Amino acid sequence: MSRPTPSDYAAAAAEAIRNHPDVRASVTAATRNFDAHRARAWEQIEPDAWRDWARDVKTHALTHLDRYLEQAEERLQANGTQVHWADTAEEALAVLGRIAAEGQVHRAVKAKSMLTEELGVNAYLEGRGVHVRETDLGEYIIQLLGEPPSHIVGPAIHRSVDDCRALFHEILGTPVDADPDVLAAAARSALRSDFLAADLGISGGNFLAADTGTLALIENEGNIRLSTSAPRIHVALVGIEKIVPRLDDLSGLLQITSRGATGQPVGIYVSLLQGPRRDDEPDGPEEVHVIFVDNGRTRLLADDRAWEALRCVRCGACLNICPVYRQTGGHPYGFTYSGPIGAILAPGLLGLAESMPLPYASSLCGACADVCPVRIPIPELLLHWRQQAVEAGLLPATEGLAMRAFSAASTHPGLFAAAGDVLRRIPWELGGRALPVVGGWSNERAPPAMDHRSFRARWKEGIE
Amino acid sequence: MSAREAILTRVRTALGSRDRTEHPGPFGGWRPEATPLPPSQAFGERFAEAGGEVVNVATEDDARSWLNAAAGGAGSVALGATLPTELHPDAPNVAPEEAAMGISMARGAVAETGSLILDARDGRRAQLLPPFHVVVVKATDIRETLAGALRSMAEDLPSAVGLHSGPSKSADIGQILVKGVHGPGRVVALIVATVRE
Repeated sequence: MSRPTPSDYAAAAAEAIRNHPDVRASVTAATRNFDAHRARAWEQIEPDAWRDWARDVKTHALTHLDRYLEQAEERLQANGTQVHWADTAEEALAVLGRIAAEGQVHRAVKAKSMLTEELGVNAYLEGRGVHVRETDLGEYIIQLLGEPPSHIVGPAIHRSVDDCRALFHEILGTPVDADPDVLAAAARSALRSDFLAADLGISGGNFLAADTGTLALIENEGNIRLSTSAPRIHVALVGIEKIVPRLDDLSGLLQITSRGATGQPVGIYVSLLQGPRRDDEPDGPEEVHVIFVDNGRTRLLADDRAWEALRCVRCGACLNICPVYRQTGGHPYGFTYSGPIGAILAPGLLGLAESMPLPYASSLCGACADVCPVRIPIPELLLHWRQQAVEAGLLPATEGLAMRAFSAASTHPGLFAAAGDVLRRIPWELGGRALPVVGGWSNERAPPAMDHRSFRARWKEGIE
Repeated sequence: MSAREAILTRVRTALGSRDRTEHPGPFGGWRPEATPLPPSQAFGERFAEAGGEVVNVATEDDARSWLNAAAGGAGSVALGATLPTELHPDAPNVAPEEAAMGISMARGAVAETGSLILDARDGRRAQLLPPFHVVVVKATDIRETLAGALRSMAEDLPSAVGLHSGPSKSADIGQILVKGVHGPGRVVALIVATVRE
């Protein structure tokens, strides 16, 4: 199965809306729920002060990234962690493959991590004979279904309870009408043996504090704590933008990320990890590796406007409030990170041409910027990428033509009136849908009947 | 050139002449109004809101009585390595993956987030594998803020610190909340007011 790409966005989104109304229902309900929790959580704090602080910490970290990367490496090594660097996805996978081979790994458990989705870790390891099990309940569901995650925080939010009932009935033998409690218990039991049998635990990282070499991970189920505690080897894949200066900074970042994501004061479980098991500890991994991954991040950092997207803490608040994302969920975006943040990360991480038309998958309503805990100016960055797309000649030719025609008409009143007269008389069924720009809207919709008088004519007559 | 050098070089080139901004200083935990509650009570409220149970006892003797009764009901226990022997209940001691109940000694707790602080030196498996987890915490070890707790630990960090703020939960199946998905589905914070030194 070839992975979908952003270029399929329009067709995939239309297909999802037309053929899968259940996906829209599930995603809309879930994101409204997430957003309501976030809104309530922000009423309990002074969100503006928290967001300013979080923005400034991440901006400081990113504008001193070279220094903090080196410091983090030094502290990780002092803690007994092995540090690796990877330019690309291929390099990161090769490092992981080497660790797995040297450690004679047969079975791996995975904590939820978007970076490992971005890199394609599961397929790579499976191809090398390592059995990989996703352990986050949502990730487990989509692994069984063979789907990518649909949301940064809730990977299976596009699936209903009934979908899960049918799946678990087939795979785990639960009753067809089982309650979610029963389904979760069956998954717990199946995954428990995976945890205890695994040689390798794979995680991402929410933050990495440079001064203590502390890798911080937030979750609610306990699968991340188990994945990083039970197997004898732990490998963390960490994007270079996840470095923060101090352990002290985690106090605010863990809280604002949790509040932004699910509205909790903090996730049920936070892991603060400082390397392998020590002599005075009863258990824990014998071997810990951190792989710093670039995979396009330095290219994004080099963009004088869009680098701000690297502040993202992956809370999903912008997805939850986005009226466009809510219609389809994440799959049509054809990229690991979907929704508003995905649309501004993709051009940096993948390249702009490879990311078209994602910067256009937005109504620019601005709701995302209003909720972002690190104040990423998402609509401005969408416009930035659109401008870059125009300059690079990446827009459909008809759109540029339409824009130039409109520009000419709007600066010549006589031409404007004449063009309006013509356009109002084109029958939609014959020609209207072929119009550039307008066609994209009207192809999927029943158009309203046109008045043959112009707005200005009606204004003179006196509009009721 | 190694990947390390390549990445650091690209970072430096990317940053070029960009403004290097200042760190904003410590997180202030700004709230509309300061919580007037004592840390122990504030912790308890937060922990209970997240679905945890809170038991307050006056002395270690009371804690031991409570643990004995609970362990008797559960059947078997896995004990944290730093749990004082005076608190060990009279119940069969088994491996964490087989125990009905885990008992851990917390390094402290955080009122601001309702979190128990668990240290790897106490043993991670007993904190995670049994379906029922009891965590003993001294009232005097409960800090007001997460920042304060992190600062108090910074010079003495084990390989892992776990902040546990309630029972394991998930809403991944159709947004319906279920407890005890991987970690314990039932968690008790046993707060001991006074402890003999």
